[in-house]
This record gives sequence, structure tokens and C-alpha cells, in this order.
Amino acid sequence: MKKIDPTVKSETLYISAWTILLSVLMQSVFLIVGLWKLDVLFGNLISGACAVLNFFLMGITVQKALGEKYSDEKNASQLMRFSQSMRMLMQLALVATGAYFFNPVAAIIPIFFPRIAVTFRPLFNKKDIKDVSDNASDDSE
Amino acid sequence: MELAIGIILGCCALGAGMAMIAGIGPGIGEGNAVAKACEAIGRQPESRSAVTTTMLMGCAVAETTGLYALVIAILLIFLAPGRLVNILVETMNTLG
Repeated sequence: MKKIDPTVKSETLYISAWTILLSVLMQSVFLIVGLWKLDVLFGNLISGACAVLNFFLMGITVQKALGEKYSDEKNASQLMRFSQSMRMLMQLALVATGAYFFNPVAAIIPIFFPRIAVTFRPLFNKKDIKDVSDNASDDSE
Repeated sequence: MELAIGIILGCCALGAGMAMIAGIGPGIGEGNAVAKACEAIGRQPESRSAVTTTMLMGCAVAETTGLYALVIAILLIFLAPGRLVNILVETMNTLG
């Protein structure tokens, strides 16, 4: 098996950390409101794991598509489309399982946690933004 | 009564299927983004890491639209039919 790109690993870790943090937050809200049951926890676990797995698989596909084997743009594009369809089916199956057997709200909300993590990403990579802006100013000169 | 329940269930299933049409968009968008990323890496191979990070974040954002459709479909399949049938039954009982 080909080695996983360090960028994919670090980004997946970042998304996992945010998913755990937001899951704890969501469980706390359920507890405070008085709606906490064991099915809330199980729904959250299934859906949170599904969200992180989806992001990781997306990272692996991006790594594969940007690799030498798929250097042709058309092949890379097709690979990404196929991967997206398969990941969508996987999410449908897992989240539907969580929503049907456990708590629907607790199963649906965690699939948006990676999106929230991405929204807050610029706060944590100020160095990268600075590097990019430095490079842009070098190019313009 | 059975006909009304059948229409509700059929419409829910049809709506869920139509909602999933929105799942096509992110696939096309991500495909185009990856194609352009390939082009960028071909031009500047040293920028692979930066392009990969940007790609990952961009793909995660692009996929949200598909997730909205997924949520609507799940709600229409698993939650809406029960609620709607309950409302119908209650309405029928009220009307006598």
C-alpha cells in the first residue's frame, strides 16, 4: 500500500480533533436540555466516525488523483467524481443506520462538523497565509 | 385512507430521490477542481503540498451542498412519512 501523504494525515487529525470537540459540545447540550439517552451517544459516534472517514477517504483520493498515475486531468477528474459518489453512498448508509436505529438529530448533525472545522481553519494557519502572501508579493515584484 | 397514505409515502420517496439529484453537483465541482490542481502541480511541482491542503479544504466545502441533499433525503425517508401519516390520521379522526 502506498504511503499516506503527511498533509492528508495532518488535516485528518485536525478534522478529527474538531469532530471530537464538537461532539462533546453536542452531548453536553443534550445533557443540559435533558434529552440525553444512550441512543444519542451511539448516533453521534456512528455519524462522527462517518464524517472523519469521509474526509480521510477524500484525502486519499486527492492524493491519488494528484499522483503520477493519474497525472492526466481527465482521469483525475473522473476518479474524484467516482470517489464522491461512493462516499456519498457510504454516508447515506451509515447516517441512515444511525438515524433509523438511534437518535436522528444526533446522527445528522455530526456530518457537518468537518465543514465547521474548515470554516475555522484560517484561524490556525496564519503562517501559511503569510507565506502565500509573501510569495505573491515576490511574484509581483 | 389507504390511498392517501400511499400517496404520502410515494411523494416522500419521490422527494428523497429528487433531493439526491443535488448530489451530482459536488462530484462535478470536485472533479473540475482536481483537474485544475493537476494542471497547477504540472506547472509548479514544488507547490504540491500547498495545493493538496487547499484542495482538501476546498473539497470539504464543496461537499457540503451534497450533504444538505443527503440530510433532506434521510429526513424524507425516515422521519417525514411517520409524522405525515400521524397528522392525516388525527385530521381524519377530528373530522369524524
